[in-house]
Amino acid sequence: MLEEQNGSKTFIIFELAGTTYAVRSRLVQQMEMIEEITPVPNAPASVEGVVFSRGRVIPALNLRVRFGFERIPIDLRTRLIVIEVGERNVGLIVDSAREFISIEASAIQPPNEAISGLSGKYIEGIAAVDNRIVLILDLRQVINLAEILIGDQPAPSGAQPAKQG
Amino acid sequence: MSIAGPEKNSEFLAEFLDDYFAESEEHLAGARRGLLALEHFVHQSNIDRASLDGLFRSFHSLKGISGMVGVRAAERLAHQMESYLRALRDWQATLSPEGMDALIAGAGLLEQIISEHRAHAPITDPSTLMARLDAIISEARNNRPVDNSTTGSVSTGPDPLRTSLQALAIGDGKNVWRFDFVPKPELSARGINVNYIRARLQQVGELMHAAPRVTPEGGIAFEFLVSTSEEITSFPDLFDDGVTYARQVLLPAVGAATIDVAAAPVEPMTASYQALSSRASNMVRVDLARLDELMRMVGDLVISRSRLDERVKHLEAALPAPEWRPLQETSLAMERQLRDLREGVMRVRMVPIGEIFERMQFVVRDLAREYQKQVKLELSGHQTEIDKFLVERLMDPILHLVRNAVSHGIEAPNERTALGKPREGTIALRASAAAETIVIEMEDDGRGVDAEQVIARARAMGIGIRGRGAGAGGQGSGAGAESISGPPEYEKLTEAKIDKAENIDSAELLELICAPGFSTRAEADRASGRGVGMNVVSNTIRGLGGTLELKTEAGKGTLFRIQLPLTLAIADALIVQAGHHRFAVPQASVREVIQIDASEIKILENNDVIVYRGAALPLLRLTRLFGLPEDQREYFHAFIVGSGLNTVGIAVDRILGQREIVVRVINDPLIQVAGVAGATELGDGRAVLILDAAALARPAEGRRIAAHNNGLPRPSNKSVESRTDA
Repeated sequence: MLEEQNGSKTFIIFELAGTTYAVRSRLVQQMEMIEEITPVPNAPASVEGVVFSRGRVIPALNLRVRFGFERIPIDLRTRLIVIEVGERNVGLIVDSAREFISIEASAIQPPNEAISGLSGKYIEGIAAVDNRIVLILDLRQVINLAEILIGDQPAPSGAQPAKQG
Repeated sequence: MSIAGPEKNSEFLAEFLDDYFAESEEHLAGARRGLLALEHFVHQSNIDRASLDGLFRSFHSLKGISGMVGVRAAERLAHQMESYLRALRDWQATLSPEGMDALIAGAGLLEQIISEHRAHAPITDPSTLMARLDAIISEARNNRPVDNSTTGSVSTGPDPLRTSLQALAIGDGKNVWRFDFVPKPELSARGINVNYIRARLQQVGELMHAAPRVTPEGGIAFEFLVSTSEEITSFPDLFDDGVTYARQVLLPAVGAATIDVAAAPVEPMTASYQALSSRASNMVRVDLARLDELMRMVGDLVISRSRLDERVKHLEAALPAPEWRPLQETSLAMERQLRDLREGVMRVRMVPIGEIFERMQFVVRDLAREYQKQVKLELSGHQTEIDKFLVERLMDPILHLVRNAVSHGIEAPNERTALGKPREGTIALRASAAAETIVIEMEDDGRGVDAEQVIARARAMGIGIRGRGAGAGGQGSGAGAESISGPPEYEKLTEAKIDKAENIDSAELLELICAPGFSTRAEADRASGRGVGMNVVSNTIRGLGGTLELKTEAGKGTLFRIQLPLTLAIADALIVQAGHHRFAVPQASVREVIQIDASEIKILENNDVIVYRGAALPLLRLTRLFGLPEDQREYFHAFIVGSGLNTVGIAVDRILGQREIVVRVINDPLIQVAGVAGATELGDGRAVLILDAAALARPAEGRRIAAHNNGLPRPSNKSVESRTDA
């Protein structure tokens, strides 16, 4: 409800491979530290496994792998951002996250191909906030099924699931 | 209090509609039963009064409730059917086969219209069928005996209410009341909704007409016309409940605007309505979603208790025994009580499977006529209770099996005579419950599944089955060493390698029939051509955690056996460990648990095999199937799953124990993988995967899972498929 007031929108900000991303806070159900992810055999490489969130079984998607960055071990700063898009709930594993900010609608620009880089097709806008460049993610694209299922290669043999924190 | 705005209205209406659908389902089921009973009276004029009355009540109720939600097509059709039944009873008309057909078609169309309304789909126009009924009624009118009346509508005896209603019909208007009810949130809070008012009015007299209308303020109101045989001047308690009323003097024009009560003799319904309402008074209709919610809460309790149990176990060392024992006893008592609670909630969700079975009577009847076959349907165990959730999902698979049996299985009468079989074919539908599972069987005494034809068909369509070594075991020979398939390389398995019919067993036959895209020549005809192939049947059953089996013998018949868990929410499971991970295996799918010494394992062309009960049993290692780290072990535990030639042992590091688990379904396609049926939590917050033992036992699938995890290349078109059909 707070959302669209005064032409600004609220976002959750997180870090991934040195870049700052934002997701609409109304799509975020909760954010938690990662305790334990149960690996799922034969799942796409970017799917780290499953976790329980509010009594539901949801996939934990490693956003680093999804965007083509290098996989890093899970540590105390790692967060699981549980989003709800359409009927689906998906947990996104990110390097760190804590901020909740609001961005003026007028401060958001359409993505510029030159800066969007690897995650380009998942970006719906770019904003400058306090001298930081924030990439606003199009979550629908981020969890696009067809792309993850077909595009991702299955995890190689003996792929180690996330370390338990 | 705020005035009910459009939102409130839609809420009222939605709540009301749910009741409507539930109630119409009941009346339709009643009507179907009644029609089956009525069928014995075709060509007769002295029809059992009770059957007619029962049917009449069903259609009358359907008319009434359809009118209230504004489903005019259903209301008009039900009215017309009612008129025909009335003609049968009051004029003692002969029930013609055309009349019987029209009634059955009418019941079907009513159901269709109601479900169209539910789906917000365009409503089928019932006019054609109504015209047919009209013609049948006219014929009955022309042929009616003229001995006991000259005035048209015939009365079987003096009946004060009927007389008064007939008086009403000519405009007298005595003892007819009009009631208006406007639903309001505060009334609803007191439990006073339109259904309540309707029930109350039914006690006042006969409900002749009920309809919603939009008030000038844009709200919703309901109007009712009730006729009473008693002299009442006011209804104070109804007034308190927000109902306004006025005695109605029916002018002819108004009479025509109500549901045509004058067109046919009128049935006094008061007594039967009272009977209905008193019977219904101790029944509660509950939304399945609420029961799901309740089940989920029970599930949460089970998890909390297991957490508690864990803590209590930890305390054993720290606490003196006199302190610790009462704690542990309380925890155990809670476990028993939770089990009872769970069973109680489960029982509430259970409904008899009979309704599905009864519907099949109509399917068989229609199809037998269409294919000019003679078929009788034998039902048994239709009192068997099954989770409501399962009942709804089982309808299509059973329908498809029965259709197939009539259209493909049962031979034409002459052919049967020539074969020395009774002219009339038999289809048996059986249901039974055993422990935690329910078994549904569909058996016909037709020609059986023609393996040659299926193989030819599969070959023509490029559908492959798993390759088998030359001289593979014959039909039903059990798990022999030679029946194990060749090299496990994935590429070889994708080759369509189909042996001769004598080398294929019924499990493989079933696999072929259920392959995506498989169809037989008759698939395109009406019987089976509704987009529900065997592939959908088997996927549905697998999706419900069940198994499908086939037994068939050329010339003798076919048996399909569906085995399902009684409920999906909570199950007993074995907790196993493999490669440092825990998994749960639903106990219903496990036939036996064994311990294997590593030295007992024999390697046969890359397959692990052990000798078990004098036969060779293929052994699959979960660590290899799932690409998990493997230690050198001296012994393994294994659980045996599957049946017939699909029997396999699944080896794990060890079996940790047995416990009750709460099954959480996996909805997201990203984590729906072959061999995993869901997830559960054992009290520590960690997700533990529930294995789909039946899928692991299917050789093709087991290998496919393994192939992926071994990093073998997979054909790109297959990779998607293996995921979506999981």
